[in-house]
Amino acid sequence: MTTRLKRKLGELGVDTSSRKANENFCLIGTPLPPLEKSKDTGEFVPLWKQEVRDEKGRRRLHGAFTGGFSAGYFNTVGSKEGWTPATFTSSRNDRAKKAAMRPEDFMDEEDIQDLKDNRTIVDTTEEMDFMGGTQAELQGKSVDDSEKDPITRALETSLLPAPKDSVGAKMLKKMGWRLGQGIGPRISLKQRKLQDTQAYDALTGTRYSGTTLDLPEDDEEANKHTYAPRDTPILVVKRKDNFHGLGYVPGRSLQDSLGNTAAGVSKGPKLAGGFGLGALNDADEDDLDVYDHDHRSSRERVAYDHINGDDDDTVVIGGRSSKRNVPAPRSSSSVQHFRDGHPVLTGFILSDHPVAEDKWFPLPDVPAGWKPDPKRVWSKNKENIQTPAPVPHAQPHAQWKKSQISADQRGSILGEAPLQAAQRSVFDYMSEKDKERIKRITSGLKGASETGSSIPGPPPPPVSLAKLEPHIAQAALRGFQPFKSDPVKQARYNAYLLSQANTDGSSPPLKRLPTQAADEFQKELEDYAKAASLFKPMSGAMAGRFTSAAVIEAGPKIIEGLHTPSEEEIAEKEAQKKKEEEDRISPKAHAAKMGMYGPLTRETKPWQPAKLLCKRFGVKEPNPEPEVSTEPMAGPSSSAASASFTHPEFDQPVATAAGKDDTAPSQQIDKPRDLANIGLGEDETQGQDTLTYERPSMDIFKAIFASDSEDSDDETPDNDDEEDVAAPAKPKETGFISATTILDDTPIDMSTFKPTFIPREGKNKKSKDDDKAKEKKEKKDKKKKEKKAVLVSFEVDEDGADTLEVKQPKDRPKKKRKEKIAQDGQDHGMWATKPPDEFANTTPEILAPAVPPDQDLASSQATGPKGRKRAIDFM
Amino acid sequence: MAPSRGPQPLARTLHATLENHKGGVNVARYSKGTAKYVLTGGQDRTVRLWNANAGTEIKTFAAHGYEVLSITVSQDNAKFASSGGDRSVFLWDVATGTTTRRLSGHMGKIYVVEFNQDATVVASGSFDSTVRLWDLRAQARLPIQILDEAHDAVQTLHVGPTYILCGSVDGHVRTYDLRMGELRSDFLGHPVASVVPTEDSQTYLVATLDNHIRLMDSSTGKMLNDFTGHVNESYRTRACFGYAEASVISGDENGQIWAWDLLDAKPLQPNPPPKVHQKLITWTEHHPTDAGEMITASADGTVKIWRHPENSAH
Repeated sequence: MTTRLKRKLGELGVDTSSRKANENFCLIGTPLPPLEKSKDTGEFVPLWKQEVRDEKGRRRLHGAFTGGFSAGYFNTVGSKEGWTPATFTSSRNDRAKKAAMRPEDFMDEEDIQDLKDNRTIVDTTEEMDFMGGTQAELQGKSVDDSEKDPITRALETSLLPAPKDSVGAKMLKKMGWRLGQGIGPRISLKQRKLQDTQAYDALTGTRYSGTTLDLPEDDEEANKHTYAPRDTPILVVKRKDNFHGLGYVPGRSLQDSLGNTAAGVSKGPKLAGGFGLGALNDADEDDLDVYDHDHRSSRERVAYDHINGDDDDTVVIGGRSSKRNVPAPRSSSSVQHFRDGHPVLTGFILSDHPVAEDKWFPLPDVPAGWKPDPKRVWSKNKENIQTPAPVPHAQPHAQWKKSQISADQRGSILGEAPLQAAQRSVFDYMSEKDKERIKRITSGLKGASETGSSIPGPPPPPVSLAKLEPHIAQAALRGFQPFKSDPVKQARYNAYLLSQANTDGSSPPLKRLPTQAADEFQKELEDYAKAASLFKPMSGAMAGRFTSAAVIEAGPKIIEGLHTPSEEEIAEKEAQKKKEEEDRISPKAHAAKMGMYGPLTRETKPWQPAKLLCKRFGVKEPNPEPEVSTEPMAGPSSSAASASFTHPEFDQPVATAAGKDDTAPSQQIDKPRDLANIGLGEDETQGQDTLTYERPSMDIFKAIFASDSEDSDDETPDNDDEEDVAAPAKPKETGFISATTILDDTPIDMSTFKPTFIPREGKNKKSKDDDKAKEKKEKKDKKKKEKKAVLVSFEVDEDGADTLEVKQPKDRPKKKRKEKIAQDGQDHGMWATKPPDEFANTTPEILAPAVPPDQDLASSQATGPKGRKRAIDFM
Repeated sequence: MAPSRGPQPLARTLHATLENHKGGVNVARYSKGTAKYVLTGGQDRTVRLWNANAGTEIKTFAAHGYEVLSITVSQDNAKFASSGGDRSVFLWDVATGTTTRRLSGHMGKIYVVEFNQDATVVASGSFDSTVRLWDLRAQARLPIQILDEAHDAVQTLHVGPTYILCGSVDGHVRTYDLRMGELRSDFLGHPVASVVPTEDSQTYLVATLDNHIRLMDSSTGKMLNDFTGHVNESYRTRACFGYAEASVISGDENGQIWAWDLLDAKPLQPNPPPKVHQKLITWTEHHPTDAGEMITASADGTVKIWRHPENSAH
């Protein structure tokens, strides 16, 4: 709204801020629903906001992802207050009061509603019983009347619900129809009488013999009235559930069925008994009432049939048909007599029909000299057949097929006019020139290949040999022989295969037999080709995968009688067992038996020692887990250090690297990694060996050892001790040397052991520093030991520089121990006891054997290669 | 002494007889270091410490409930371990004579127990065909590792610096190489009674219950020498190397001590050796340092210390 308009409106006296002035009549888009809830239930709600609620206001649909239907309280069995299980109450006292549980007790209102709906439908359908009303009534009555006493009937009728009429019956009743009447306009008595006389039994087709209006014809009163038409019996066509012939009515003789007998005699035989006859046992003469018999039907066995046919098949609307199953006593008061004077048994009547006899016609007189000629008779009425050629008819099909009469031949036999185009061949369409050319070619061929043309007419096309791949033919030659039963054919087959196998023409192609037609020959060749491709053995590649069975199993040999194994058998079995055992022992065992120890008896497989075990043994873990790679630098260095603790001889360079400052790596492991120097810078010892690797001069050695020996002057070297320490130290030098080093068998030169001395020097300094910072007393103890050890070595040292070789390994264990102590002080308690000394105190001193040290050394050196045998010595 | 002239003659002069055991002696071992002492274990459920020189008993360690079948002494001689019929390894403190630990876990009698070099791990081989490796540093009750590759009782063990050698009744000698991370099993075809490697670990000596002692090459598994003549068919009899590994010594089931030249595998004189024990010799061990001393333990209840005549003089 512009200011000008505002001003104008203000001048007009309209409040611009009022709602009316601001009312907007322009609607754009769908208005959003108001934010606050309105009470208007008919308000428009967008589809996505619509909710379905049941009559109690519960939301019924939640969407597929939030639970679908709702039931109970938030899909639980409980309510908002929770769910309490029913407390147990004993029903012992009020068992009588307790009503039986019905399914409805467990249904909720929806289910009950559903049930109600269903029930109403069922009820209406039940009431819609068009035919059943009357029929049921009829049936009920038919049973009731005969068997039930009046009181029962009355009770039943009062108890049973009143029979309901079907809709049709109701309508008919409204129109004035009554039960038992026919449908239609009312008729006069005369007409009704006529209807009665014309009535037929619907089922049997016989004249109806039931109730009729028994009114005298001339009754005037009766003539005055009109009558309902006669009730039309409804023919209920029974479902055929038996195996009687079509049209056979059970309980009726043939004559009865044809309707040529009186209704009175169509009843069939009366049974004296009435029960006790099964379907399969014929009624005996005793059971049959022989006296009341139609002679014609005397041989009928209808006892069962009659009972079967008892069903009331006719339905009469309204009227009660006479019950045939009720033995209606023929009330013949006057006693009848047979012709010979015998009285007829009570309940029987004499038949007034005479006994019908079989008609026999006399044979015609046969004229003399007559001979039967059936053909004459047969052909009498067949005027269209002129030629008496019944041969094709007499021929069986197979024979006919073999005769191979061509269509033309057949036609000529049948006398058909031959078709003009029938004999035309390819040559007929050829020009004369071509014909001549072909003739020339064929005549040329005739000389070479004697494909003799015994058949006249156009020469048969040259036999195109059924080609076969050479390799297939070769395989087939080796394979199955399909025509074994026919040697001639087999030979021809082989010849054919040979000709096909040798493409170079070394074997002649198969010739046609003189008696063979060209097409037969062609067919034969095709057969051979087919057989070859069929019976060729598996191709080489496939055949290699299978082995044909060498042994045909014929099952176990069964010996009759009690089995007593003979001695031979036992011996044989034992031998077999022995052989089996021998077979069973592996080549390994066999080799061991033969003394062929070596690769045959050796099995090598990877084995992963436990990590802790490697640690305890001071061995780098073989095939370490990938997790080791997380500390790429610390790993090797630490392992190298650990290796140097126990076996410095293993890897000299490694020992050197670690030995420079062997306490450092162990500390390094614990140090957290510094981000600043990740990589090579992490390893403090890296490159040290290369930088500081130089062989110290002999003076340093001397200085070290000399000073040591001088320090330990207070302890006089014990001869015995010296001997003891020196000797066991010797084995130490061969901790573990790989086979290759042994094989080298090079004498130990200075450079190999030299690095071990460098760490010793460094170690001494380092450990001293460390120990100083820690425990001085312990250090002292150690030093004493060290001195002792060195003292021994010094004694040896006097002999010359080369004896260092011996001293060096002896040093190793000592150093190792010291390192350990430096690392973990727990162990030092173990050392405080000094068991060997303790032992020594308890025992008298033994003089060392009087072997001069130099000689000992010499011997040890001498025995090195000689005395101690190595694997190499045996090779 | 002429060390270069073949192996030294065996010390066959009886120096002392240790007879305090009641019942057969199964094992006799030298102490480490100077090896002045001998530890023996026998059927009488005791371990006895002897002064080999004097031939006197120092101490009896009695805690076993069954026979003692194996003893191993730690490098510092401060402790030893023994095992036997009571299915647990007993760790002993030598000075106090008490067991410090009893490692149980085996399902059968433990035939052999062996320390590693610094006695941080003890390996035990048992009738249950397993070898268990026990950590002596930590207080863990469970073994570090169980080697269950053997199919029959493990009769003998040797723990080298980086390998574990075990011989089993199933006829295999298995070498568990810790450094290589591989298991080499050599099949000998007969129950293995004892396995003793040479100091250089290149060869090992195997006594099997088919009257054979074989020297095998560790690296290839080939047989280098075969020593026969003795009788060893049904009992565990330990064979060992003589001094400087120049000879092979073994007792046999007749109570004779056999010795062979390592190189030519010929029995040393006297051949046949005299019968020196009443019953079978269960254990033969040469003094680790002294050329002229060895001990034999026998089922007749005696342990005999043998010396050269010149050695036994002092």
